[in-house]
Amino acid sequence: MIATSTEVVLSVRGIEKSYGKNHVLRGVDLDVHRGEVVCLIGASGSGKTSLLRCMNLLMEPDQGEIVIEGAPLFRSAGDERLKLSGRQVSAVRIKTGMVFQSFNLFPHRTALENIIEAPLVVKKVPRAEAEARALELLTRMGLPDAGNKYPSQLSGGQQQRVAIARALAMQPTIMLFDEPTSALDPELVGEVLAAIRQLAADGMTMVIVTHEIGFAYELADRVVFMDQGVVAASGAPRDLLLSAASPRLAAFVGRFTEQARLLGPLAVQPAAPSFTSPN
Amino acid sequence: MKFDPSIVFANWDILAYGLLVTLKYTIYTCAIGLAIGLLVALLQLTPWPLMRWSGRVWVEFFRNIPLLVLLMWTYYALPIFLQIQIGKETAGVLGLGFYASGFYAEILRAGVQSIDHGQTDAAIALGMGYFQRMKRIILPQALRRMVPPLMGQTIMQLKNTTLLSVLTIPDLLYQAGYIASFTYRPMEVYTVIGAVFILMLFPLSALSRRFERKEAA
Repeated sequence: MIATSTEVVLSVRGIEKSYGKNHVLRGVDLDVHRGEVVCLIGASGSGKTSLLRCMNLLMEPDQGEIVIEGAPLFRSAGDERLKLSGRQVSAVRIKTGMVFQSFNLFPHRTALENIIEAPLVVKKVPRAEAEARALELLTRMGLPDAGNKYPSQLSGGQQQRVAIARALAMQPTIMLFDEPTSALDPELVGEVLAAIRQLAADGMTMVIVTHEIGFAYELADRVVFMDQGVVAASGAPRDLLLSAASPRLAAFVGRFTEQARLLGPLAVQPAAPSFTSPN
Repeated sequence: MKFDPSIVFANWDILAYGLLVTLKYTIYTCAIGLAIGLLVALLQLTPWPLMRWSGRVWVEFFRNIPLLVLLMWTYYALPIFLQIQIGKETAGVLGLGFYASGFYAEILRAGVQSIDHGQTDAAIALGMGYFQRMKRIILPQALRRMVPPLMGQTIMQLKNTTLLSVLTIPDLLYQAGYIASFTYRPMEVYTVIGAVFILMLFPLSALSRRFERKEAA
């Protein structure tokens, strides 16, 4: 694992967000360092996806501050509010790349066109250069022949890997994953996790909202447990997941360890199944 | 009484003129309807309540008033309200065009809003601005979905031009009435007119269906 530097790439401070009476984020502070993999875990409604969507301002917080590589993306405290033009917001936002639970590929574009779209129209990269980079990314994602296919012709796992390539094409500093495997059939989860693991090995800074506790345990430099709109606990995966710092965290992790315990006997069974005929 | 359509065909020039008038008004009012409809749809898609509200009012007004009432009102009442003179042609084009705009606006708005919000999220996350994502991501997908209802509305629009005859605009139906008035053969005349409309609109419906099939494939 590549060592994490002390340089802060993304910093959120005092993030608050409400929908009507529903207070989904209640003052969240989080720093992500260069090369670090942070996994956000927590029950549904704990605010982890909302927090992730605030990080690239897909969702605008009510209060707080978001800074990416020293550039402010959002700042609002009391009545004071940082005014940024759409162009300024976009310039900071594209330091992040986002991968969505439901892939959100553009269905009217081929895989290759999906990947070159933003480099062409946002960064004004020449087409030949953008295409060459896109093919390289597709190869890196294990899909060298998918370029001319439309999203509807690809499996969920393939679509998600194209979506990762699309986000990488903008050469982001930090990747944001919103439950990247939750919409996938179980047998397709592995290929997407492998692609993310590959990115981590390459030293990409990542924030991953996930329900795959085992994956978080294996890959994360730091696991952040969110509960009721705040960071309830945070630390190295081993410390956090095994310590059970709070009863709610213990209950949350307990469901997964219980499942693992129940499945445990399967792991030691001999692999060869035996079939006996009725007679 | 014998059914003898030759009487109608003997006056084909009168009908041909009516057909031209019908097509002319269809094209004019569809163009106006689409142009205004697009503007009204855009108003409804803005985040600003006042603009959305005014778009909504426009749509509800023209969708809920009966077309015949609208035409009569535009021709007979509007000039008095505004103290202006407008001819029957202007009244007809305005009435039909505005009426169509209400329906076109709804088709365009619903088409854009039917596109999954994830598409907008993805485009924003990639740094695309409002016009870039409308032009390159949302509208290309929405337009494909809009074609069948837009075709349907255009077919309605052509049929609705027959109401212009109440303003004595010499469209196909008005000309038919004229032929019937001196030949005393309404049975033949109106049968032929009905057939002409069906023959004219069938290709449009067929085209729309073909497009839908292509979309489904």
